[in-house]
Amino acid sequence: MTVELFGIPRLRAGVSQSIADGSTLGEILLDLARRFPSLGEDCIDGCTLKAGYIANLSGERFVTDPETELNEGDIVLLMSLDAGG
Amino acid sequence: MHPTPGYHGRYLRIDLSIGIAKSVSLEASFLRKYLGGSGLGVALLMKEGAAMVDPLSPEAAIAFVFSPLVGSPLTTSAKFAVVSKSPLTQRINDSLASSGFALTGKKTGNDAIVLVGRASRPSIVLIENDQVRLEPAEDLMGCSNPETQEKLRSRLGSDFQIATIGPAGERLVRFSTISHDGRHAGRGGSGAVLGSKNIKAIAVRGTQRVQWSDQSALVRLAKELSEKSFGPATAKYRELGTASNLLTFNRLNVLPTRNFQQGSFHGATAISSEELGVVRNRTRASCAACTIGCEHLYSLKSGVPVRLEYESLFALGSLCGIDDSEIVLVASQRCDAAGLDTISSGGTIGFAMECAERGLIDAPWLRFGDGNALLRALDLIVSGKGLGQLLAMGSRAMAMEIGCDSIEFAPQVKGLELPGYDPRGLQMMALGFAVGSRGADHNRSGAYEVDFSEAVDRRNVGPESAHLAVESEDRAALMDSLILCKFLRGVFGDLFQESAEILRLVTGWNLTATELRETALRIVTEKKRFNILAGWTPSEDTLPKRMLQTAIPEDARASLSTDRLASLIKAYNLARGWSEEGWLPESETGAGAL
Ligand code: SF4
Repeated sequence: MTVELFGIPRLRAGVSQSIADGSTLGEILLDLARRFPSLGEDCIDGCTLKAGYIANLSGERFVTDPETELNEGDIVLLMSLDAGG
Repeated sequence: MHPTPGYHGRYLRIDLSIGIAKSVSLEASFLRKYLGGSGLGVALLMKEGAAMVDPLSPEAAIAFVFSPLVGSPLTTSAKFAVVSKSPLTQRINDSLASSGFALTGKKTGNDAIVLVGRASRPSIVLIENDQVRLEPAEDLMGCSNPETQEKLRSRLGSDFQIATIGPAGERLVRFSTISHDGRHAGRGGSGAVLGSKNIKAIAVRGTQRVQWSDQSALVRLAKELSEKSFGPATAKYRELGTASNLLTFNRLNVLPTRNFQQGSFHGATAISSEELGVVRNRTRASCAACTIGCEHLYSLKSGVPVRLEYESLFALGSLCGIDDSEIVLVASQRCDAAGLDTISSGGTIGFAMECAERGLIDAPWLRFGDGNALLRALDLIVSGKGLGQLLAMGSRAMAMEIGCDSIEFAPQVKGLELPGYDPRGLQMMALGFAVGSRGADHNRSGAYEVDFSEAVDRRNVGPESAHLAVESEDRAALMDSLILCKFLRGVFGDLFQESAEILRLVTGWNLTATELRETALRIVTEKKRFNILAGWTPSEDTLPKRMLQTAIPEDARASLSTDRLASLIKAYNLARGWSEEGWLPESETGAGAL
């Protein structure tokens, strides 16, 4: 599954895009935390995102439930929750 | 009798026409109803009858309002509100800024400073404790904000804190700012209001401190709040600054581009904070008494650092089709120096670029993507030459002048240019923009937070969610009256409950969350009452026709019809306890309000 990272998640991972294995949001997050320890430490708590971060599927909808099933072709966007400017 | 802790219990009212200053007492019950900042400011303006006068006339009032938390050890509390009727919107305008001006202004022994009248010549208002005087300012006319502050500091001494207007305010540009130490009371043209009073600067110095009701508990709580401010809720602001929104918004196709003709920008990466951080020197700064420090400065090629926020980046970048980061930084620097609101500057120039490309104005040089054209347009606004006269009025007045239905794509609500959120793809924010008392505004309503959550489908928001816009506006009204920086909001579990505790330690008032919710509603209602007196009608609670007739080109689902927006507005008004159209209940409107 393709993952795009924005804001702090991008800063912690050091990449703007990655691949992660899994068929649910929770599995993807677990895999990302393994691949990018800094991202895992600061943004991910087990199979959920820490407060302050949110995931979006392909720009379509925001999701937080780790059980959220991902479909083939979905792109997971990870971003800072606070969009204030 | 001692004033309520946290307050001086009085404000200074200066009539510039007759050169008389008087101290006016503020009852504790009045302060408890409106707190400070925006809330107290709108209440003072109502007392002055400011709603019904031309904001650039001598009769108009402008209030610099502090708050009970100013001077306390609470992080991000060194803020003041500048409240007046806006010359851009003809509606209420409350602009907030953070700096030592708030700390020192309050030490003059006042909870607010209200100016009315007009000085007979260009002047500086000097306030030193109970002493007030006007000094001539002819030698400062035409000086930029930094130049004015530097000259005044060497004339008066460095312990004066000085708020200034730049050349834009002197020329009554309708979206000119009031500046202090690089921070601005930015939106709605408060610089022009001060300029119309012949006031180039206000300098304050004082020694009067307020008491705190429970000092040791307040210090403990402030320490806890500071510790929380180093946590994840503010990481984005601390480490990246607001400019990091740009690529996220671009990905979601809600980055206003080329006067809202697109929702994503081909040059987004080139001007993003991520790219700027690689190719330019980056430094960080913060407002006075702030532990977050969201200010990120990027160096020009010359090495000069320029503060850059998301709103300036989008307005002077994607909105005008500019993908050259050096141009965006130079434009931002020029706005700051001249005292121009970057959002309205970019919004008005982007609109003019579209008008020029459509042949509606004779300015063949003004084209999207042309950085030199952007800089030339900014200079014309400041000098008032050529097209600058028209641009200086803002996009709504400009569209009225041009005609040809250009108002349909003028990017404004109530005359205030939209900030960097395309409302078609962020429809909770669309509602916040439409009903906002000062026009399209992301600071008085943070409804975008709801769009960035699972609570709604951001491209298909229904009236059942309108109460979320009400809650967002109420939270903002409270924070803007306390005053605390909104970038701190993520650290609160229950903002109303925790604010009640903060105020208890500061003032000694035994407040509840329920009372503070009522206070927030009262403040929002008072702004509405001001607007009704100023001539508000329901037809102005809307969005530009472009936003209601076309989807964002890159995202067909991001469309918002007139009917759906109307249903959202109706639900919002009912949730507020107002009529479906947004009128206040008759009993609340006051004599002659309707
Ligand atoms: S978070 Fe930013 S805007 Fe808010 S007080 Fe701190 S430096 Fe100023």
